[in-house]
Amino acid sequence: MRRRLETTAWFMAPFAVILAAWAFVLPLFEVNPRLFPQLSQVIEAARETLADGTLIQHVGASLVRVAVGTTLAIVLAVPLGIAMGVSPVISTFISPLLRFFSVLAGIAWIPIATLWFGYGFGAITFIIFNAVFFIVTYNTLLGVSTIPMPVRNAALSLGAGPLVMLTEVLLPGALPNIVTGIRTGLGFAWRGLIAAEMIATNVGLGYMLFVARDFYRTEVIVLGMVVIGVLWLLIDRLVLAPLERATIERWGMVQRA
Amino acid sequence: MKGLTLRHLSKTYFDPYSGTRVDAIHDVSLQVEAGEFVSVVGPSGCGKTTILNMIAGFLPHSGGDILVGGKPVKGPGPDRGVVFQSFALFPWKTVLDNVAFGPKMRGVARAEREKIAREYLAIAGLSEAAGRYPSELSGGMQQRVGVVRALANDPDVLLMDEPFASVDAQTRMTLQEELTRIWAEKRNTVLFITHDVGEAVFLADRVVVLTKGRVLDEIKVGLPRPRKWDDANKDPEFQRLSAQVLEKVRAA
Ligand SMILES: Nc1ncnc2c1ncn2[C@@H]1O[C@H](COP(=O)(O)OP(=O)(O)O)[C@@H](O)[C@H]1O
Ligand SMILES: [Mg+2]
Repeated sequence: MRRRLETTAWFMAPFAVILAAWAFVLPLFEVNPRLFPQLSQVIEAARETLADGTLIQHVGASLVRVAVGTTLAIVLAVPLGIAMGVSPVISTFISPLLRFFSVLAGIAWIPIATLWFGYGFGAITFIIFNAVFFIVTYNTLLGVSTIPMPVRNAALSLGAGPLVMLTEVLLPGALPNIVTGIRTGLGFAWRGLIAAEMIATNVGLGYMLFVARDFYRTEVIVLGMVVIGVLWLLIDRLVLAPLERATIERWGMVQRA
Repeated sequence: MKGLTLRHLSKTYFDPYSGTRVDAIHDVSLQVEAGEFVSVVGPSGCGKTTILNMIAGFLPHSGGDILVGGKPVKGPGPDRGVVFQSFALFPWKTVLDNVAFGPKMRGVARAEREKIAREYLAIAGLSEAAGRYPSELSGGMQQRVGVVRALANDPDVLLMDEPFASVDAQTRMTLQEELTRIWAEKRNTVLFITHDVGEAVFLADRVVVLTKGRVLDEIKVGLPRPRKWDDANKDPEFQRLSAQVLEKVRAA
């Protein structure tokens, strides 16, 4: 517990320094608020947008898109990755496609996604899906291939059938890589989301940034950026890291960096 | 308990990339009686692992027959328990769940299979470790788990491929003594593979010398059981048998 507090304190330290500089040093200079806001203005913007409910609305819209897109991607990518991991035929056939599309994954799909799904939820969720899907598929495949042959053989000679093989050997065996894939994929998804929301919607954090620019509201832009960063840290620290700790670290399958 | 029969077993590996063939096993016939402990000893590359993997069903054989209790084997199955050199435990399962895995596959209810697993863990002196994960155990303890995991499934034949080759010398001697003690209780049919002549003689009722994919000779071992290294080292009969086997292996 003490160590956790200490780690957290060290993690916060650089942010505290930047905030202090922003609060106490920046006001000494005359900075055009159309180029960069004072901290007090950003706090005021936060108070305002919280009070009128718009901030929550934008954050909510963004989070729902990320959640839906990511979940769909994981649900489809993990079985595909495992199928590729156990079947050389499927793997040989899909691998070239995976390579081709992984470089396109994300914002390159925005134009065509808006034609397919129109502006809004569908197009943006598709972008998220796309960003997560290929990375998780690839990492699942990688994960399956790292399970030592003797471990699979052990399961077979203890009487495991195909279903048990899947749920008790292949899935847990590939889990370290799957979690890494989800973590990387979510990072891409989060970036793709902001870009997509600037173009293809009228609600969400990306949209909030983009509209504020038209009115030279730098305090709203910076507020949005801070929220984006903080939300990502929270997702990573409060969802992904504990998931990793509860499973693969406990099994001794990875060492905590 | 059932016996194991190999009749004119052969294996040719084919490498599709280089187009080369390797005749790894030529014509091996071997009978392991029900409840007999047979060691197969031979230099590295003589085909020991190939034979064991074919018996286990991990590898198809090219010719001949493999019979357990008179029935030909088709693929891996719980009638043949395997202990691996690399332990091959499930890192994501506790020691207890590793050992209970075989009974679980047979449909044994949770309470009953955990009871079985605890009994076997107790035999191997591992009761304390039941709730731990394999990564938290030493190599010697992990292989104890590997052995009882195979035994807890009550296989007709136990196949062991150099199971103690990757633990330190002291631990290895302890594990060998424990194996003879446990085996004296259970009397499984065992095929034990090793390149270590002393180990082969110490454990077995009969030692089969394998060279270049062929059986060179067989030597009966009538030493009393359970066996201890302190006794064996002083026993002229053990010395004589070891020297005899070593001579055959080196003649290869
Ligand atoms: N997958 C394989 N493909 C081609 N040759 C193989 C393969 N596995 C083993 N061999 C060859 O078969 C022979 C026997 O190998 P192996 O059974 O591993 O011997 P041992 O276990 O006694 O060391 C060796 O010459 C080895 O090179
Ligand atoms: Mg070998």
